[in-house]
Amino acid sequence: MDHQTLTSPASAELRPRVYDSISKLLPRVLGREIPAMSEDMKLMSELGMRSASMLELLLEIEDDLEIQIEVEDIDDAAMTSVGDLADFVASHAITDG
Amino acid sequence: MLAAALAREVSVTAIEAVASYLPEQRVSVEDVAGRLGLTAMQTRLFRRFLGLAEIRLDPGGSLLDLLSAAVSRLAQLRGREQLVRYVLHARAMPVVEPYPVNTLHELCEAFGLGHAVSFTVTHHACATGLLAVDVAGRLLAGDEDGDAGALALVLTGEKAFTRDAQYVPGTSIFGEGAAACLVSLHGPRDRVLAYASSIRGEFDGRLDALPEMASRFEKEYPVSLAEAISAAVAQAGMSLDDISLILPHNVNALSWQRLCRRIGFPADRVLLSNVPVTGHAFCADSLINYTTAADLGLLRPGSTYLLAAAGLGATFSAMVVEH
Repeated sequence: MDHQTLTSPASAELRPRVYDSISKLLPRVLGREIPAMSEDMKLMSELGMRSASMLELLLEIEDDLEIQIEVEDIDDAAMTSVGDLADFVASHAITDG
Repeated sequence: MLAAALAREVSVTAIEAVASYLPEQRVSVEDVAGRLGLTAMQTRLFRRFLGLAEIRLDPGGSLLDLLSAAVSRLAQLRGREQLVRYVLHARAMPVVEPYPVNTLHELCEAFGLGHAVSFTVTHHACATGLLAVDVAGRLLAGDEDGDAGALALVLTGEKAFTRDAQYVPGTSIFGEGAAACLVSLHGPRDRVLAYASSIRGEFDGRLDALPEMASRFEKEYPVSLAEAISAAVAQAGMSLDDISLILPHNVNALSWQRLCRRIGFPADRVLLSNVPVTGHAFCADSLINYTTAADLGLLRPGSTYLLAAAGLGATFSAMVVEH
């Protein structure tokens, strides 16, 4: 079966669901509540996330949204803020095509 | 005396031959993770994102068994044992057995190498294998008659015998494997053109117990490894375009894919095919990957390749070699 990343419209449609999913799943991955989640919240410097917890979060998002995420292109910019990660996931979700 | 000095100046460390050994028992990362008590998510990310699937283990075998298996496969050593001046065991872990047990001495006796000066090289963690090759060449070059066919034998291979020795959180799972590498001066095979290594002692400590240091190490890791690679390539008077293949340490596939993007090197020219089937075998990865590359015909005469490794603690090393 061929896999391909989502087209731009599909990616844009997925983006809000990804943000909601991150908002829901981050407290579980971090093991604590996050009082004021925002798009600009810094994943590493503010929330103390590391690569391993970031990958765990991506797995949780995959399960939650029933998607697959192509991680080979992930870089520091994609892991800067909650919004950056949502952008990355929405644009790197793989669909069965 | 002058001739000897000149010879030393132009001496070039050469990798004459490499043999490797992987234990037959294959253990899935899920089985290892179960024994280590990892959560389901911690376990899944190894296979799903990091490219690890199984490791090799020989639970009933000793360190002597592991190293001997690699030396036994080094056909180029047969009949030349008396030429071996030095036997170096490169180890990630400084202490692996209680005194007075000395596996290296036992191995030397068993293989007719009892006359050689044998010792352990350590403190570069998983990058110690490359250090040992460099040290071996320097020792041979320092001998007055070092050009008379003298050899050094570099051994890599360790037992994954404690939890810390099996697992780097969210990064890698260690397996067992060994390599034996015959080093000479001016050998006809693989000439070492450059070796660069940097030690960042500020990262010495248990990463899982020091989250702040672990975060800094995560940021610094790709930068420092890229710098070591660039330094070795520049020292060889080359550019990355001249490197036909990188033989990496098998920490995981994702970190190498990210590093390749950072340095602008094609990821398909990094030999990552052993990552899913061996895991990370301490100092032995790059040399095990050498034998894989040779078996696959990826090392062509005159081509230049790069061995790379990073060690916790932290050390970042790269070696440029011409085949």
